[in-house]
Amino acid sequence: MRAMAKSSPKNRGRGNSKKKQRKSPAKQGFRTRFWRVFWRLGLVGLVVLAGWTVYLDAVVTSKFEGRRWEIPSRVYARPLELYDGAAVTTVGLSNELSQLGYTPVRSAREPGTYSRNGRTFEIYTRAFRFSDGEEPARRLRFSVSGDRVQQFRVTAGPDSPVVRLEPIQIGGIYPAHKEDRILIKLSDAPDSFVPALLATEDRDFYQHWGIAPLSIARAMWANVRAGHVVQGGSTLTQQLVKNLYLSREQTLVRKGNEAIMAMLLELHYDKPEILQTYLNEVYLGQAGARSINGFGLASQFYFGESFSHLDLHEVALLVAIIKGPSYYDPRRHPQRALKRRNLVLDLLAQTGKVPADKIAKAKQRGLDVVNKPSYSNARYPAYLDLVRRHLAREYKDEDLKSAGLRIFTTLNPEIQRITEQSVRKTLDRLDGGGKDKTLESAAVVTSRDSGEVLALVGGREPKFAGFNRAVDARRPIGSLIKPFIYLTALSHPDKYTLITPIKDEPFTLVFDDGRRWSPENYEHESHGMVPLHRALAKSYNLATVRVGLDVGIDEVIDNLHKLGLNEPVQSYPSMLLGAINLSPVEVASMYQGLATSGFNTPLRTIREVMTSDGKILSRYGLEVDQVVDPAAVHLVQYAMQEVMREGTGRSAYRYLSSDLGLAGKTGTTNDGRDSWFAGFSGDLVTVAWVGRDDNGPTSLTGATGALPVWANIMSRIPQYGFSPVVPTDVKYEWVDGQQQALTSESCDNARFVPFIVGSEPKDTVNCSGDLTRRVRSWFEGLFE
Amino acid sequence: MMHKRLLPGLCLGMTLLAGCASGPGGSIYVPAGQSQDNAPPPPTANEPEAAPRASEQPQESPESKASKPAPSYQDESEAISPAAASLVQKADVMLAEGDTRAAISQLERAQRISPRSSKVYFKLAYAYKAENQLGKAEQFALKGLSLAGSDTGLQRTGWHMLADIRRASGNVAGAEQAEARAAAL
Repeated sequence: MRAMAKSSPKNRGRGNSKKKQRKSPAKQGFRTRFWRVFWRLGLVGLVVLAGWTVYLDAVVTSKFEGRRWEIPSRVYARPLELYDGAAVTTVGLSNELSQLGYTPVRSAREPGTYSRNGRTFEIYTRAFRFSDGEEPARRLRFSVSGDRVQQFRVTAGPDSPVVRLEPIQIGGIYPAHKEDRILIKLSDAPDSFVPALLATEDRDFYQHWGIAPLSIARAMWANVRAGHVVQGGSTLTQQLVKNLYLSREQTLVRKGNEAIMAMLLELHYDKPEILQTYLNEVYLGQAGARSINGFGLASQFYFGESFSHLDLHEVALLVAIIKGPSYYDPRRHPQRALKRRNLVLDLLAQTGKVPADKIAKAKQRGLDVVNKPSYSNARYPAYLDLVRRHLAREYKDEDLKSAGLRIFTTLNPEIQRITEQSVRKTLDRLDGGGKDKTLESAAVVTSRDSGEVLALVGGREPKFAGFNRAVDARRPIGSLIKPFIYLTALSHPDKYTLITPIKDEPFTLVFDDGRRWSPENYEHESHGMVPLHRALAKSYNLATVRVGLDVGIDEVIDNLHKLGLNEPVQSYPSMLLGAINLSPVEVASMYQGLATSGFNTPLRTIREVMTSDGKILSRYGLEVDQVVDPAAVHLVQYAMQEVMREGTGRSAYRYLSSDLGLAGKTGTTNDGRDSWFAGFSGDLVTVAWVGRDDNGPTSLTGATGALPVWANIMSRIPQYGFSPVVPTDVKYEWVDGQQQALTSESCDNARFVPFIVGSEPKDTVNCSGDLTRRVRSWFEGLFE
Repeated sequence: MMHKRLLPGLCLGMTLLAGCASGPGGSIYVPAGQSQDNAPPPPTANEPEAAPRASEQPQESPESKASKPAPSYQDESEAISPAAASLVQKADVMLAEGDTRAAISQLERAQRISPRSSKVYFKLAYAYKAENQLGKAEQFALKGLSLAGSDTGLQRTGWHMLADIRRASGNVAGAEQAEARAAAL
């Protein structure tokens, strides 16, 4: 009031000059008026403050009680299964362990560590909760020899002949604010955690009611003595309020709001509730655009361990970081972080809640921070794109971004790495190291019998999240269509066998409207009469179109649809030469049926989707559906193996083991605009495409563009060779293809060929070519 | 009537290579063909700690070898690996407890480990039958049969199972057909 009076000299001066006579009563009147205004203003202020408080109260409670956090969904790769005989390379295993943040040590004594001595590995696995139960922590010992696990033993933990490592997280589906966290409960906290936190951040937490004036005074005094800010006076509650509700600006109004809201929070909720919320909210680091919030995720981020498993020195480091996650970043500023960690340990020692010898031991420990987890959404953009498309069929985007779902995919990170490298290196070589990098590529690798998509590459620059060619580049498939035409033909054993002679000579089709179509072979030559198996192996167009027209285009299209093609196909003769536009993923899906015994096995990228508390929301299990005759498929498989041994794909065996028994098919479209290769081994179906985004010509064929990519991928993955089980109604015979007759194995031109029982030749020929016509033909026999 | 001819012409001179380790009646396991981080041709084994590699295969051209081109196929079914067998056992316990979904989960793990073993698919057929998903059950029985090869025991199991499934779904003719196949073995 005094200050007010003094601060109005102008008013007084004016009064003096104008109303001199009534000086004293005027002064009194002014005072009365002033007080009236003051009280009124005060009252209005109080009402406004009360209203504001009510408003803040609503903000505090609604936000605290509603869904407090949007938890991003986590996307995991397939877990690596270890057992005697598992196909694993030392490089692949080392990569897996490094991506999981396992620490190499001399002797693996705690979860998340491993030791390696030559080929012998000792791994202490971390516990992980899968949908079918918890996989406990175990110590494993085994060697890797000939690219497979041998002498597998569990040396600590429950015994099992097969053990899963936890899966690598390959990405997340984040809310717009990019906050990432793993929710934890207060009861998850290691014993030393709360004492360490409170000793450092808020000693009077259990006593104060939101704000602690004494702490502020103490902090100010400490800061004054030190000459700079060494201590903050905010309580945990204030810190929480600041994080939950307020912007980061430092204004007086904000400080006021913070104090009011802190008290309101304390009024509504008890200390454990506030503490638990703080544990999950606090900002503890940054990984690219993603912010690391809460101790649950921070434990994973810094130590690769779950919060409840942290040791004292790790607990102290996390508490130390709170003050400045960037300034005390233990990876960038280890000295600073170590100094503050030890300060935290000293503060904890003062409380007497942890024995001094334990504190002393913890101070001796290093920071023990794991390498920054290398995953980011940028790592597998093409694969995650396909995963998101599959998810979009059943899940809303906002749920994926906020409901904390756990998505278990089929990605095999090692095969993905090999595929990416193979694409990049082969394309660099195809370019001849020139500046023209317009050649592009896409590849997909699936598991033959399960249809799981193991790897997907959408371009030669796999980290670039642009055009996903593996899914979106629909290109004419050229000769990749041919196995389906021959499959259709061989399903009629009365008309076609693998040795049926086909005429590979030019011809012209004249359509009703007078247009003419004259297909040609790739090399513009014709080959006369050729056995069916060679027509496929050498990819002769003229012979194939004849067969296709004979069995009927519609029947071929029907088989394509049975084998999983969802697109409508125009019934033009040109489709017999592959005038159908498909993406590499669609091709892989159709080749799955050829690679198995005619089973349509839908491609999958997701095994299951779980809630954050372990409930299964969706399972995408293995499905098989026998859609075409397994005997006819077996015959096609034979011819596709011949493609690799003697036909257009044979260059692959220059750098692949013949034990792989590979089966495949090349595809080339006009002017080399598309170079395709699709094929399979015992374990894998792989499709590769090379071409240009602008559909421009190249000098490549399927054999010189896509096949090197394909072979490069296949050569670097340990796997089983392709050796199909012969269906019961198929029989192998030594035949002389020229004479269409059975012959002896010892004859020069003898060939061991499978036939659907009853369709094998009836005549016999000896090595010198003398034919013995036995009975009549099988076909005539039918009508007797 | 099946030929006992397994992988003619292959595996010759490969006995020293780790790559020639094939399971009983099974496909051949082929380790990675070259250094994990090197560009492809020509194959070079420059990873010192690597096992003997298939890249050491004779540099002979496929044509010269192909005077008697050797198709790769097999008559026998493939044995289930011990690891997969242990998961099938686990699944058996779950099935007995009526926890079909968990059992299927374990069986799919087993399938990934032994994808060419009839036994795993027959178990899946059994589990889906228990779930009364007869369409799926029938398909898994067929898949198992497609891999049974000349093993009459496995074939019999498969055809009987198929007959049961078809009968349960009201396909009497199909069931009888399957039974006839079993009886003919």
